[in-house]
Amino acid sequence: MTAHEWGALADDAYARRVLESALDTVDGRVQYADARLIECEELRSYAQLGADPDERIEQNVGIGVRVLVDGQWGFAARPLAADTDAAAAARQAHASAVALAGSGKRVELPPREPASGRYETEVAQDPFAVDTAARHELLAAWLGAASTPAEVAAAQAGVNAKRQHRHFADTEGSRQHQHLLETGAMLVVTAAGHGDVQRRSYPNSFHGNTAGAGWEYLASLAMQENAARVGQEAVALLTAPAAPRGYADVVIGAQQVSLQIHESSGHALELDRILGDEANYAGTSFIQASDVGTLRYGSDAVTIASDPTRPGTRGSFAFDDEGTPARRAALIDRGIVRNTLSTRDSAARSGLALTGAARSDGWAYLPVCFSTHVYLEPGDGGSLDELLDRMGDGYYIDDNRSWSIDNQRLNFQFGTEVAYEVKKGRRGRLLKNFSYGGVTPQFWGSVEAVAGPSEFRAFGYPCGKGEPKQWGFLSHGASPMLVRDLRIGVA
Amino acid sequence: MSTEFAAPVAPDGLLDRLGAAAKAGGADAVEITLLGRAGEYTRFAGGRVHQPQDILETQYSVRAIVDGHAARAAVGTVNGLDEAVRRATTAARAMAHGDHGNATVATPAAAQDVVLWHDDTAAFDAAQRAQAAGRTMREAEKAGGHAAGMFGRALTQIAVVTSTGVAHHALATEAIGSLTATVGDGTSHWIDLHRSAAALDLASSVDRTIAEAVAGQNRIPVPDGRYTIVLGPQAAGELLGFLEDAGFSGELAAAKVGLVAQRAGDRVASPLVTVADDALATVGLPIGFDMEGTPKRRVPLLTNGVVGEAVTNLATAKALGTASTGHAHIAREEVPTPVAANIVMDAGDATEAELIAGVERGIYVQRFWYTRLVDRLTATITGVSRDGCFLIEDGKLAQPVAGARFTHSILDFLSTVDGVGAARRSQPVMNVWNGSVTAPALRGHGFRFGSAKIEEN
Repeated sequence: MTAHEWGALADDAYARRVLESALDTVDGRVQYADARLIECEELRSYAQLGADPDERIEQNVGIGVRVLVDGQWGFAARPLAADTDAAAAARQAHASAVALAGSGKRVELPPREPASGRYETEVAQDPFAVDTAARHELLAAWLGAASTPAEVAAAQAGVNAKRQHRHFADTEGSRQHQHLLETGAMLVVTAAGHGDVQRRSYPNSFHGNTAGAGWEYLASLAMQENAARVGQEAVALLTAPAAPRGYADVVIGAQQVSLQIHESSGHALELDRILGDEANYAGTSFIQASDVGTLRYGSDAVTIASDPTRPGTRGSFAFDDEGTPARRAALIDRGIVRNTLSTRDSAARSGLALTGAARSDGWAYLPVCFSTHVYLEPGDGGSLDELLDRMGDGYYIDDNRSWSIDNQRLNFQFGTEVAYEVKKGRRGRLLKNFSYGGVTPQFWGSVEAVAGPSEFRAFGYPCGKGEPKQWGFLSHGASPMLVRDLRIGVA
Repeated sequence: MSTEFAAPVAPDGLLDRLGAAAKAGGADAVEITLLGRAGEYTRFAGGRVHQPQDILETQYSVRAIVDGHAARAAVGTVNGLDEAVRRATTAARAMAHGDHGNATVATPAAAQDVVLWHDDTAAFDAAQRAQAAGRTMREAEKAGGHAAGMFGRALTQIAVVTSTGVAHHALATEAIGSLTATVGDGTSHWIDLHRSAAALDLASSVDRTIAEAVAGQNRIPVPDGRYTIVLGPQAAGELLGFLEDAGFSGELAAAKVGLVAQRAGDRVASPLVTVADDALATVGLPIGFDMEGTPKRRVPLLTNGVVGEAVTNLATAKALGTASTGHAHIAREEVPTPVAANIVMDAGDATEAELIAGVERGIYVQRFWYTRLVDRLTATITGVSRDGCFLIEDGKLAQPVAGARFTHSILDFLSTVDGVGAARRSQPVMNVWNGSVTAPALRGHGFRFGSAKIEEN
């Protein structure tokens, strides 16, 4: 039995019948319709210092149907409790589109060749087959290692896994079946004392790190030894000197670069934002549709791509959530904006290329533009040590502590958990409360070099967007990079 | 077209069905929580309704306790409920290694009645919302600009049953409106939510927002510096949402971190500042009990500026040796933790115009954006101002100003408050089930716009 043989929707043929029953309900009455039938199960185990462990497994199955009638969209989503629910969702989606007849600008989708297929995440060890007690023994060991110093006031350790059957069908003939699985881990330590409170995290500062892989992914994280390290570092930060203010050269570690990509590259390149669809909530973008192909976004060292075909990440898939086959798209090529993260609707309205970035949080929400696996291409900067050597004097920073950026994705301010003074290419004192700020194109324009492929790491993120807010699950990858003359100490 | 506005799960016989499942599992105790939401949202931008959404979601979450150890299993439909009880019980049993854990379920107690149903929200159907969206976009266009926003109604359902006799059910209407009007470089934003759609005062809120966008054209930058500021209700609510991070959560209090642990009883804010978590108030999104079935009570956070209590769930209350305040919550991808989900600040008696009239030179801020905690110890946050911001000169709104970054301690700001507005508005709390913050306009001093000065180093 493989890791994908579970639940009610492992059978593609059955899922296809359910989807087709939904499409049949609106057959002949729509310009276009698609249906997504998804079963999801998520496992989360947590251990906390001074509190009972927590264990939860959550399952849901449902269908989301989107229709286009006389140029107006309609969408409805329902849990799947009975055979009739798929048709009910389709009827409601149709009704909501009909209610908007003549109410606004029409949407016309260019025709698309149907694409069908099956995709599975490669899994060596099924995380759902790992014994509950074994998971909690592991968490207890991580927690014990992290909380050895007396100044550790709080600590959390966790493991997570999610498996999904994602089935898609549309009126153009596409039939797609994706069976996804992801696994992750997290650790956060808070130290208090000496009139201060400091935190350290591993392997990602935001909800841990999650990969498109099985339980084997955890072995690559070396959680036990890193738990001890971050516990000690959290305590060391309490008495570390504060980072200075001014302008400095900085090597930014892969985790912090990944968040910088998320906030200032991924979001800025979402085409629905660029076109104003998100103006009320998530915001707009400083990049305009007319900038594609010409705008200098960064230095020649900066190439950022979207590539969900790369396996093993939280943004890996074969088809996006409106059925567009996955492909690599250069978003920023040697500093120039070349593409956006687009959906069929946004690409059609703007005349820009369709890059397959329509993504939704399960069956209940509409697909919108979200990042996929969006990453900074490794450069010729060699290893991290070589990059520090190239910098000479400055700072090495990593692991995000706070993040904020304006609604056009232009003016940002980030803080990191750790910073190290660097003198003549050698790491020196640990510093706390490091922050830096800037303006997106100037920041990326100051990137002198990016470390090579050996330093590349990928980070899985959740992200929020839309009204009502939905979650996107995606990935960003990076090697450390050298930025010259960065404004630091801005908080 | 009027659409059906029905409960996510039919209430008839629901508690009995959940009760039977809770008692059949073989665990020492079982708690079953149904969270349901039938939401309809008319989202518009670019001269069209681009995202009409009709979403029904239900989750039955089972928490089984064996020898003081708890595990949860959740399913989306009632079909899987008995299996979820079995899974949760099996997992809880696997976690019990002979040592006794601390997990418990709530003690049966009556929840206070609150008004949850409003017929005007039930009538706020797709046709009404589409009509309102169309009018909004046309009015913005007449003003030379455009509008993006969302009008919605929802039915929120919660039921909690335990094998020990807790049995609560609530079905609540919810209406929400939000709008960003853009005219030239001027923008204005409005958001409000309430159990009653009529309370949104939709038409006049739309007209006012468009007029503010017209007035907000030709923005100038905000020079770095410290300012007297008047915050509109939305900006004020954004700041109040950070009180929990400053130490008003039971989790932080139990870890002896933050204001409640360190400074309970101390005055840290102006005497004009009284803030509570109050799910029994008539504003925001009232609800009578939490996900563990504990009746909610008003929890004073700041009373006339003095530090009060932390919100707790069963686990953190036990760690603190108190009773749960009814604030259990499970955020997605996070460990369960108590949350201040219904923050309400007491209103004052001033109009916004009166608050502004008391400022010789300052800034009016309608909306903050992307605010994040920078330093827990000082409750310092960073973010940017976004829409509807103006210089204040000689007691009146003057030149519109562009969005600007700020980094400031919310406690420092609240300690300087010398004016509180009479009108309050509510907004959702991100990632919190049934979460809302309700705030009036505030006036305070010494608020820092711009990054830290390099010369201060």
